[in-house]
Amino acid sequence: MCTWWHYGSVVTPKRPGGTHRLNGMGTRCCAGISLPSGSKALTASNAPPREGRPWSVSSFWMANPIPSACCVVLAVVVVYAQRHSQQDSHIQYERVGADVTMKCGSMDWDAAVTWTANGTDIDDSHLNGSYLILKNVDLTQSGQYSCYEGSSWHLKYQTNLRVGVPPKEPVLMCRSNNYPKGFYCSWHLPSPTYIPNSFNISVIHGTREMVCEKDIFPKNRCHIRYLQLFSTVKYKVTLTVTNALGKNSTTLTFDEFAIVKPDPPESVVAKPVPNNPRRLEVSWQNPSSWPDPESFPLKFFLRYRPLILDQWQHVELSDGTSHTITDAYAGKEYIIQVAAKDNDIGTWSDWSVAVHATPWTEEPKHLTTEIQIIGETLTQHKPLALRGPGYGDPSAGGVWQ
Amino acid sequence: MLNVAGEPPGDSWGIFAFLCAALCNLPTVPALNGTEELGAGQSIQKTYDLTRYLEHQLRTLAGTYLNYLGPPFNEPDFNPPRLARAERLPSATVDLDLWRGLTDNARLAANYRAYSRLLKYLRGLDSQVGTVELRHRLGHFCSSLQGLVLSIAGVMSSLGYPLPAGPAGPPPSSGTPAAPNDFLKKMDDFWLLKELQTWLWRSAKDFNRLKKKVPPAVVTLRIEARGF
Repeated sequence: MCTWWHYGSVVTPKRPGGTHRLNGMGTRCCAGISLPSGSKALTASNAPPREGRPWSVSSFWMANPIPSACCVVLAVVVVYAQRHSQQDSHIQYERVGADVTMKCGSMDWDAAVTWTANGTDIDDSHLNGSYLILKNVDLTQSGQYSCYEGSSWHLKYQTNLRVGVPPKEPVLMCRSNNYPKGFYCSWHLPSPTYIPNSFNISVIHGTREMVCEKDIFPKNRCHIRYLQLFSTVKYKVTLTVTNALGKNSTTLTFDEFAIVKPDPPESVVAKPVPNNPRRLEVSWQNPSSWPDPESFPLKFFLRYRPLILDQWQHVELSDGTSHTITDAYAGKEYIIQVAAKDNDIGTWSDWSVAVHATPWTEEPKHLTTEIQIIGETLTQHKPLALRGPGYGDPSAGGVWQ
Repeated sequence: MLNVAGEPPGDSWGIFAFLCAALCNLPTVPALNGTEELGAGQSIQKTYDLTRYLEHQLRTLAGTYLNYLGPPFNEPDFNPPRLARAERLPSATVDLDLWRGLTDNARLAANYRAYSRLLKYLRGLDSQVGTVELRHRLGHFCSSLQGLVLSIAGVMSSLGYPLPAGPAGPPPSSGTPAAPNDFLKKMDDFWLLKELQTWLWRSAKDFNRLKKKVPPAVVTLRIEARGF
């Protein structure tokens, strides 16, 4: 049988009227703790206040009968006090490796103050009078810095330090996978900046500035509709990334035709052909993002190989969305992929999802009879397995494979 | 018929002139038979193949010629504003819906007119240009381009469409002002090559559409003819 306790620690100012802070509050059911009758709380305190450290920490355990409203009130008081003090806090962005000097608001240089970082005291060695000096800051030093006046423990200054880097040159890519409707551009930063960034993209076509509509998903992508086709004038796309520590940009210039790259073909299916041990029938569909395959037909590139070999075989197909492979090695599992390209312009798509298929093989019949026959044959002739490309003859049965 | 100043009449021009004369005497109702139906489809395929071949040829020619012109013309990012001078070149740029809605006749006629004019401008390029190799390449390209113009004319005639009357614009040797300086002359050459390239890309798409659309129409006409 355990008793419910409320616990936590309260940082109290030595003088009344200062700010309380409540840390690490919780509730737990403990057995084995018994208090002398009459007492309701168990408190412990850290070392007595040092010279010049005008606060103390005490931990408390309070047994359940004490209404939690008490804790709530305390918490409310603390929250109010913290909120009140946050009115004069702001965000400060600094570069990694910079030296940061923080002034305690309007306090004089020689005033007695205490600085904290995320609630933890900062050692006097970092102080220059009442200024806080952080040399060669790194990412771990991001956090909330507060400055309290020496004797009264008034909060004089608070800031949120964010350590980061200015943006590197962004990576920009533009592509038309839905020709002739338009194109999209997508971008990303090659390395993180650790602070918030904003992106701005501009598209210029000759003398006209076009609007690239931002996509909701994925982020960092926008799309443009072509107003005219077969343009001789290039498109110039400039992406600028800005954050509190700097900015950077990159530009792409291209012809309408140069960025055409369809999505890979969809629904690739490969099936064996009954009674044909060396054939595989492959079929696929135009990518659904390609809007007009009638007027802008696609051509296809098929590649296939048995799983056990590294060398691909290739077939280019100028129309149709199916093909029969006629030179498959009997009985071997194949991996097959298809890519698409506009018939005349642009570049090949990425390879489609790979499909696997094995050509049809004859069902081995009367296995035991065959073994007898083969056994007899072996004593008289060379083994069948030495014929052909080394893969054996399926009609000899599955025994040798 | 075509005013090509200073060009000695060659065999191909003679054939072309004969074709034109013959076409002018055709009856208005196209008397199609089996071979002509095959002819239209095959002609379109042949014309399509020619545009692809020319596009490939142009890539090499343009590279050499732009190098001859020197920087900035041979820089890949060179993106100059289009001067008013360049507006006399036939432009392939067109509104998407307009392009889709073109009739077969209008589509073919646009191609025919464009290449006829581009051929004239190309022939007007300074005959002293660059190296012997460059002049040779240019000459070869002009012959192939001429073949394309004839091929388009062949398609139009096999479908019963009249050839567009006369040259659409003034020949380069008169009317349009010569380039006032060397740089502007080079700009003219740059835009000519650019426009040729874009037209060849467009033609591939034009003939793709024609490939799909023409044969059924021809079959229909054939049935009607037999009905008489």
